[in-house]
Amino acid sequence: MFINWALQEINLKIVYYGPGMSGKTTNLEYIHSKLDPSLAGELVSLKTKEDRTIFFDFMQIEVGRIKGKKPKFNLYTVPGQVYYASSRKVILNGVDGIVFVADSQPHRMEANIETLLDLENNLKQDGHSLEAFPWVIQFNKRDLPGVETLETLQKKLNFFSVPYFEGVAVRGDGVFNTLKAVINKVVQNVQNQL
Amino acid sequence: MVRTKKLKDGSRQIILNGKQYEGVTKTLSELASKTKASAILFADMSGQLISQRGNTENMNTTVLSALAASDFAATAEMAKLVGEEAKFKLLFHEGEKRNVYLSNVGDYFFLVVVFDVNVTLGLIRIYTKKAIQSLLEILEEGGEEEGEKDMIDSDFSSLLGDALDETFK
Repeated sequence: MFINWALQEINLKIVYYGPGMSGKTTNLEYIHSKLDPSLAGELVSLKTKEDRTIFFDFMQIEVGRIKGKKPKFNLYTVPGQVYYASSRKVILNGVDGIVFVADSQPHRMEANIETLLDLENNLKQDGHSLEAFPWVIQFNKRDLPGVETLETLQKKLNFFSVPYFEGVAVRGDGVFNTLKAVINKVVQNVQNQL
Repeated sequence: MVRTKKLKDGSRQIILNGKQYEGVTKTLSELASKTKASAILFADMSGQLISQRGNTENMNTTVLSALAASDFAATAEMAKLVGEEAKFKLLFHEGEKRNVYLSNVGDYFFLVVVFDVNVTLGLIRIYTKKAIQSLLEILEEGGEEEGEKDMIDSDFSSLLGDALDETFK
Protein backbone atom coordinates (compact mmCIF):
# COMPACT_ATOMS: atom_id res chain seq x y z
CA MET A 1 0.00 0.00 0.00
CA PHE A 2 1.28 3.40 -0.88
CA ILE A 3 -0.17 6.55 0.66
CA ASN A 4 0.57 9.92 -0.88
CA TRP A 5 -0.43 12.39 1.78
CA ALA A 6 -0.08 15.49 -0.39
CA LEU A 7 -2.49 14.19 -3.02
CA GLN A 8 -4.59 12.23 -0.50
CA GLU A 9 -4.16 9.14 -2.60
CA ILE A 10 -4.31 5.57 -1.35
CA ASN A 11 -2.87 3.00 -3.75
CA LEU A 12 -3.64 -0.68 -3.34
CA LYS A 13 -2.26 -3.62 -5.25
CA ILE A 14 -4.56 -6.58 -5.81
CA VAL A 15 -3.21 -9.71 -7.50
CA TYR A 16 -5.31 -12.41 -9.19
CA TYR A 17 -3.52 -15.71 -8.61
CA GLY A 18 -4.41 -19.23 -9.74
CA PRO A 19 -3.55 -22.11 -12.05
CA GLY A 20 -3.30 -21.77 -15.82
CA MET A 21 -6.57 -21.18 -17.68
CA SER A 22 -8.60 -20.70 -14.49
CA GLY A 23 -9.93 -17.31 -15.65
CA LYS A 24 -7.72 -14.66 -14.04
CA THR A 25 -7.38 -12.59 -17.21
CA THR A 26 -11.09 -13.13 -17.93
CA ASN A 27 -11.93 -11.50 -14.58
CA LEU A 28 -9.95 -8.40 -15.51
CA GLU A 29 -11.36 -8.32 -19.02
CA TYR A 30 -14.88 -8.40 -17.66
CA ILE A 31 -14.20 -5.61 -15.15
CA HIS A 32 -12.58 -3.56 -17.90
CA SER A 33 -15.52 -4.06 -20.27
CA LYS A 34 -18.11 -3.01 -17.69
CA LEU A 35 -16.53 -0.01 -16.01
CA ASP A 36 -16.94 3.53 -17.19
CA PRO A 37 -13.77 4.50 -19.11
CA SER A 38 -13.32 7.46 -16.76
CA LEU A 39 -12.82 5.00 -13.88
CA ALA A 40 -10.88 2.19 -15.55
CA GLY A 41 -7.52 2.67 -17.19
CA GLU A 42 -6.15 0.73 -20.11
CA LEU A 43 -5.94 -3.05 -19.70
CA VAL A 44 -2.42 -4.10 -20.55
CA SER A 45 -1.79 -7.78 -21.23
CA LEU A 46 1.62 -9.30 -21.72
CA LYS A 47 0.68 -12.42 -23.63
CA THR A 48 2.25 -15.08 -25.81
CA LYS A 49 1.07 -15.56 -29.40
CA GLU A 50 -1.22 -18.28 -28.10
CA ASP A 51 -2.96 -15.74 -25.87
CA ARG A 52 -1.51 -17.10 -22.65
CA THR A 53 -0.31 -14.60 -20.06
CA ILE A 54 3.47 -14.59 -20.11
CA PHE A 55 4.11 -12.00 -17.42
CA PHE A 56 0.99 -10.21 -16.19
CA ASP A 57 -2.11 -8.20 -17.01
CA PHE A 58 -2.52 -4.82 -15.43
CA MET A 59 -5.31 -2.33 -15.00
CA GLN A 60 -5.93 0.54 -12.62
CA ILE A 61 -9.41 1.39 -11.42
CA GLU A 62 -10.75 4.30 -9.42
CA VAL A 63 -14.02 5.00 -7.65
CA GLY A 64 -13.81 8.78 -7.34
CA ARG A 65 -13.10 10.69 -4.14
CA ILE A 66 -14.26 9.46 -0.75
CA LYS A 67 -14.12 12.01 2.07
CA GLY A 68 -11.60 13.88 -0.05
CA LYS A 69 -9.43 10.82 -0.48
CA LYS A 70 -8.74 9.10 -3.71
CA PRO A 71 -8.35 5.33 -3.55
CA LYS A 72 -6.76 3.69 -6.57
CA PHE A 73 -6.78 -0.04 -7.15
CA ASN A 74 -4.05 -1.61 -9.20
CA LEU A 75 -5.17 -5.00 -10.44
CA TYR A 76 -2.66 -7.58 -11.68
CA THR A 77 -2.87 -11.18 -12.80
CA VAL A 78 -0.02 -13.67 -12.75
CA PRO A 79 0.81 -16.23 -15.44
CA GLY A 80 -0.71 -19.52 -14.30
CA GLN A 81 1.51 -22.05 -16.00
CA VAL A 82 3.90 -23.89 -13.68
CA TYR A 83 6.79 -22.84 -15.89
CA TYR A 84 6.45 -19.15 -14.94
CA ALA A 85 7.04 -19.57 -11.22
CA SER A 86 9.55 -16.73 -10.89
CA SER A 87 7.32 -14.33 -12.79
CA ARG A 88 4.55 -15.01 -10.29
CA LYS A 89 6.88 -14.22 -7.43
CA VAL A 90 7.90 -10.95 -9.05
CA ILE A 91 4.30 -9.75 -9.46
CA LEU A 92 3.59 -10.32 -5.75
CA ASN A 93 6.05 -7.60 -4.79
CA GLY A 94 4.17 -5.09 -2.62
CA VAL A 95 0.83 -6.92 -2.86
CA ASP A 96 -1.99 -5.87 -0.52
CA GLY A 97 -4.69 -8.41 -1.36
CA ILE A 98 -5.10 -11.58 -3.38
CA VAL A 99 -7.92 -13.18 -5.33
CA PHE A 100 -7.28 -16.87 -5.82
CA VAL A 101 -9.14 -17.95 -8.96
CA ALA A 102 -9.67 -21.72 -8.75
CA ASP A 103 -10.87 -23.92 -11.60
CA SER A 104 -13.92 -25.95 -10.50
CA GLN A 105 -13.27 -28.88 -12.85
CA PRO A 106 -12.20 -32.13 -11.14
CA HIS A 107 -9.17 -32.65 -13.38
CA ARG A 108 -7.82 -29.22 -12.37
CA MET A 109 -8.00 -29.88 -8.65
CA GLU A 110 -4.38 -30.89 -8.45
CA ALA A 111 -3.32 -27.73 -10.30
CA ASN A 112 -5.43 -25.64 -7.90
CA ILE A 113 -3.74 -27.16 -4.88
CA GLU A 114 -0.28 -26.93 -6.38
CA THR A 115 -0.77 -23.23 -7.21
CA LEU A 116 -2.15 -22.49 -3.77
CA LEU A 117 0.95 -24.04 -2.21
CA ASP A 118 3.10 -22.05 -4.62
CA LEU A 119 1.30 -18.89 -3.46
CA GLU A 120 1.83 -19.76 0.19
CA ASN A 121 5.48 -20.40 -0.45
CA ASN A 122 5.97 -17.12 -2.32
CA LEU A 123 4.20 -15.15 0.38
CA LYS A 124 6.31 -16.79 3.05
CA GLN A 125 9.50 -15.78 1.30
CA ASP A 126 8.26 -12.21 1.44
CA GLY A 127 7.50 -12.43 5.15
CA HIS A 128 3.72 -12.85 4.78
CA SER A 129 1.57 -15.69 5.98
CA LEU A 130 -1.37 -16.98 3.99
CA GLU A 131 -3.33 -17.40 7.19
CA ALA A 132 -3.20 -13.72 8.13
CA PHE A 133 -3.06 -12.23 4.64
CA PRO A 134 -6.16 -10.58 3.11
CA TRP A 135 -7.33 -12.92 0.36
CA VAL A 136 -10.50 -14.41 -1.10
CA ILE A 137 -11.29 -17.38 -3.35
CA GLN A 138 -13.33 -17.46 -6.51
CA PHE A 139 -14.45 -20.93 -7.62
CA ASN A 140 -14.69 -20.26 -11.30
CA LYS A 141 -16.32 -22.06 -14.26
CA ARG A 142 -19.39 -23.09 -12.26
CA ASP A 143 -21.37 -23.33 -15.52
CA LEU A 144 -19.35 -26.25 -16.87
CA PRO A 145 -20.79 -29.78 -16.64
CA GLY A 146 -19.36 -32.18 -14.07
CA VAL A 147 -17.69 -29.59 -11.85
CA GLU A 148 -16.78 -30.36 -8.26
CA THR A 149 -19.39 -29.57 -5.62
CA LEU A 150 -18.94 -26.43 -3.61
CA GLU A 151 -18.43 -28.58 -0.52
CA THR A 152 -15.53 -30.46 -2.06
CA LEU A 153 -13.90 -27.25 -3.28
CA GLN A 154 -14.28 -25.66 0.12
CA LYS A 155 -12.83 -28.67 1.87
CA LYS A 156 -9.86 -29.01 -0.44
CA LEU A 157 -8.94 -25.37 -1.01
CA ASN A 158 -10.42 -23.07 1.58
CA PHE A 159 -8.56 -24.30 4.66
CA PHE A 160 -8.37 -20.83 6.20
CA SER A 161 -12.10 -20.13 5.69
CA VAL A 162 -11.61 -16.97 3.65
CA PRO A 163 -14.57 -15.39 1.81
CA TYR A 164 -15.42 -17.41 -1.31
CA PHE A 165 -17.50 -16.82 -4.40
CA GLU A 166 -18.87 -18.96 -7.18
CA GLY A 167 -17.97 -17.48 -10.51
CA VAL A 168 -18.62 -17.72 -14.21
CA ALA A 169 -16.10 -15.07 -15.17
CA VAL A 170 -16.90 -15.12 -18.92
CA ARG A 171 -20.42 -13.97 -18.09
CA GLY A 172 -19.27 -11.79 -15.21
CA ASP A 173 -21.00 -13.87 -12.52
CA GLY A 174 -19.27 -13.33 -9.21
CA VAL A 175 -16.60 -11.06 -10.68
CA PHE A 176 -17.51 -7.80 -8.97
CA ASN A 177 -18.51 -9.50 -5.71
CA THR A 178 -15.08 -11.10 -5.57
CA LEU A 179 -13.29 -7.82 -6.19
CA LYS A 180 -15.41 -5.98 -3.65
CA ALA A 181 -14.70 -8.64 -1.05
CA VAL A 182 -10.95 -8.52 -1.49
CA ILE A 183 -10.91 -4.71 -1.27
CA ASN A 184 -12.96 -4.93 1.94
CA LYS A 185 -10.53 -7.46 3.36
CA VAL A 186 -7.58 -5.17 2.62
CA VAL A 187 -9.23 -2.13 4.21
CA GLN A 188 -10.29 -4.21 7.24
CA ASN A 189 -6.77 -5.49 7.55
CA VAL A 190 -5.39 -1.95 7.70
CA GLN A 191 -7.96 -0.94 10.31
CA ASN A 192 -7.22 -3.94 12.48
CA GLN A 193 -3.65 -2.80 12.74
CA LEU A 194 -4.43 0.69 14.03
CA MET B 1 12.74 8.88 6.74
CA VAL B 2 9.85 7.93 4.55
CA ARG B 3 7.49 5.97 6.74
CA THR B 4 7.31 2.30 5.99
CA LYS B 5 5.29 0.11 8.21
CA LYS B 6 5.05 -3.65 8.32
CA LEU B 7 1.63 -4.98 9.14
CA LYS B 8 1.13 -8.15 11.14
CA ASP B 9 0.53 -10.24 8.05
CA GLY B 10 3.81 -9.03 6.59
CA SER B 11 2.43 -6.50 4.10
CA ARG B 12 4.16 -3.20 3.72
CA GLN B 13 2.81 0.31 3.92
CA ILE B 14 4.71 3.27 2.60
CA ILE B 15 3.59 6.76 3.52
CA LEU B 16 4.99 9.83 1.84
CA ASN B 17 4.25 13.10 3.62
CA GLY B 18 3.44 16.43 2.00
CA LYS B 19 6.91 17.89 2.39
CA GLN B 20 8.55 14.84 0.88
CA TYR B 21 6.17 14.85 -2.06
CA GLU B 22 6.92 18.51 -2.71
CA GLY B 23 10.66 17.81 -2.56
CA VAL B 24 10.36 14.87 -4.93
CA THR B 25 8.38 16.88 -7.45
CA LYS B 26 10.85 19.74 -7.32
CA THR B 27 13.79 17.40 -7.90
CA LEU B 28 12.03 15.85 -10.90
CA SER B 29 11.38 19.29 -12.38
CA GLU B 30 15.04 20.21 -12.06
CA LEU B 31 16.12 16.94 -13.62
CA ALA B 32 13.69 17.47 -16.49
CA SER B 33 14.97 20.95 -17.24
CA LYS B 34 18.66 19.99 -17.01
CA THR B 35 18.48 16.87 -19.14
CA LYS B 36 15.71 17.84 -21.58
CA ALA B 37 14.30 14.39 -20.94
CA SER B 38 10.91 13.78 -22.55
CA ALA B 39 9.46 12.31 -19.39
CA ILE B 40 10.52 11.49 -15.87
CA LEU B 41 8.59 9.25 -13.52
CA PHE B 42 9.10 8.48 -9.86
CA ALA B 43 7.34 5.36 -8.62
CA ASP B 44 7.43 2.81 -5.85
CA MET B 45 8.75 -0.72 -6.36
CA SER B 46 5.27 -2.21 -6.39
CA GLY B 47 4.60 -0.17 -9.53
CA GLN B 48 2.60 2.74 -8.18
CA LEU B 49 3.31 6.05 -9.84
CA ILE B 50 4.08 8.84 -7.40
CA SER B 51 5.13 11.84 -9.44
CA GLN B 52 5.84 12.70 -13.06
CA ARG B 53 7.36 15.54 -15.02
CA GLY B 54 7.95 16.39 -18.65
CA ASN B 55 5.87 15.82 -21.69
CA THR B 56 3.67 12.98 -20.49
CA GLU B 57 0.26 13.89 -21.92
CA ASN B 58 0.36 11.24 -24.60
CA MET B 59 2.01 8.65 -22.46
CA ASN B 60 0.16 6.20 -20.24
CA THR B 61 2.42 6.76 -17.25
CA THR B 62 0.37 4.56 -14.91
CA VAL B 63 1.00 1.57 -17.13
CA LEU B 64 4.58 2.63 -17.74
CA SER B 65 5.25 2.59 -13.97
CA ALA B 66 3.68 -0.84 -13.58
CA LEU B 67 5.77 -2.22 -16.43
CA ALA B 68 8.96 -0.57 -15.19
CA ALA B 69 8.50 -1.99 -11.68
CA SER B 70 8.05 -5.48 -13.11
CA ASP B 71 11.07 -4.90 -15.30
CA PHE B 72 13.06 -4.13 -12.15
CA ALA B 73 11.71 -7.08 -10.21
CA ALA B 74 12.37 -9.42 -13.14
CA THR B 75 15.99 -8.32 -13.48
CA ALA B 76 16.49 -8.71 -9.73
CA GLU B 77 15.52 -12.37 -10.19
CA MET B 78 17.81 -12.55 -13.21
CA ALA B 79 20.65 -11.17 -11.10
CA LYS B 80 20.19 -14.01 -8.63
CA LEU B 81 20.18 -16.60 -11.40
CA VAL B 82 23.44 -15.39 -12.89
CA GLY B 83 25.14 -15.21 -9.51
CA GLU B 84 25.05 -11.44 -8.99
CA GLU B 85 24.52 -10.97 -5.29
CA ALA B 86 23.38 -7.37 -5.32
CA LYS B 87 20.48 -6.26 -7.50
CA PHE B 88 21.17 -4.64 -10.86
CA LYS B 89 21.11 -0.93 -10.12
CA LEU B 90 20.05 0.41 -13.44
CA LEU B 91 18.40 -0.70 -16.63
CA PHE B 92 18.78 0.87 -20.01
CA HIS B 93 16.53 0.31 -23.02
CA GLU B 94 17.80 1.64 -26.30
CA GLY B 95 15.42 2.52 -29.10
CA GLU B 96 15.66 4.21 -32.48
CA LYS B 97 13.97 7.41 -31.39
CA ARG B 98 13.82 7.16 -27.65
CA ASN B 99 15.72 5.54 -24.84
CA VAL B 100 14.57 4.63 -21.37
CA TYR B 101 16.85 4.77 -18.36
CA LEU B 102 15.69 3.20 -15.10
CA SER B 103 17.45 3.46 -11.80
CA ASN B 104 16.50 2.47 -8.28
CA VAL B 105 16.20 5.09 -5.55
CA GLY B 106 16.91 3.20 -2.35
CA ASP B 107 15.06 -0.06 -1.80
CA TYR B 108 11.52 1.13 -2.26
CA PHE B 109 11.50 3.55 -5.17
CA PHE B 110 12.79 4.00 -8.70
CA LEU B 111 13.16 6.63 -11.38
CA VAL B 112 12.29 6.29 -15.07
CA VAL B 113 13.86 8.75 -17.50
CA VAL B 114 12.61 8.75 -21.08
CA PHE B 115 14.74 10.74 -23.51
CA ASP B 116 15.32 11.28 -27.22
CA VAL B 117 18.32 9.56 -28.77
CA ASN B 118 19.97 12.91 -29.51
CA VAL B 119 20.45 13.48 -25.77
CA THR B 120 23.64 11.76 -24.68
CA LEU B 121 23.46 8.96 -22.18
CA GLY B 122 26.38 10.47 -20.23
CA LEU B 123 24.40 13.60 -19.50
CA ILE B 124 21.41 11.58 -18.34
CA ARG B 125 23.63 9.43 -16.14
CA ILE B 126 25.30 12.36 -14.39
CA TYR B 127 22.17 14.34 -13.66
CA THR B 128 20.13 11.28 -12.74
CA LYS B 129 22.79 10.26 -10.25
CA LYS B 130 22.64 13.72 -8.67
CA ALA B 131 18.85 13.65 -8.61
CA ILE B 132 18.87 10.25 -6.91
CA GLN B 133 21.17 11.62 -4.25
CA SER B 134 18.81 14.48 -3.47
CA LEU B 135 15.76 12.20 -3.62
CA LEU B 136 17.37 9.94 -1.04
CA GLU B 137 18.03 12.95 1.18
CA ILE B 138 14.43 14.12 0.84
CA LEU B 139 13.13 10.66 1.68
CA GLU B 140 15.47 10.49 4.68
CA GLU B 141 14.13 13.69 6.17
CA GLY B 142 11.39 13.20 8.67
CA GLY B 143 8.24 15.17 8.42
CA GLU B 144 5.23 15.92 10.53
CA GLU B 145 3.66 12.72 11.73
CA GLU B 146 0.82 11.91 9.46
CA GLY B 147 -0.78 8.56 9.95
CA GLU B 148 -3.03 6.36 7.92
CA LYS B 149 -5.31 6.52 10.93
CA ASP B 150 -7.10 9.59 9.64
CA MET B 151 -6.80 8.34 6.11
CA ILE B 152 -8.62 5.04 6.50
CA ASP B 153 -11.18 5.26 9.30
CA SER B 154 -14.33 3.18 9.66
CA ASP B 155 -16.36 5.93 8.04
CA PHE B 156 -14.08 5.69 5.04
CA SER B 157 -14.50 1.96 4.68
CA SER B 158 -18.28 2.09 4.75
CA LEU B 159 -18.30 4.94 2.21
CA LEU B 160 -15.85 2.97 0.08
CA GLY B 161 -18.25 0.03 0.18
CA ASP B 162 -21.04 2.28 -1.13
CA ALA B 163 -18.76 3.72 -3.82
CA LEU B 164 -17.80 0.22 -4.97
CA ASP B 165 -21.47 -0.80 -5.12
CA GLU B 166 -22.17 2.28 -7.20
CA THR B 167 -19.21 1.69 -9.53
CA PHE B 168 -19.84 -2.03 -10.00
CA LYS B 169 -23.59 -1.75 -10.60
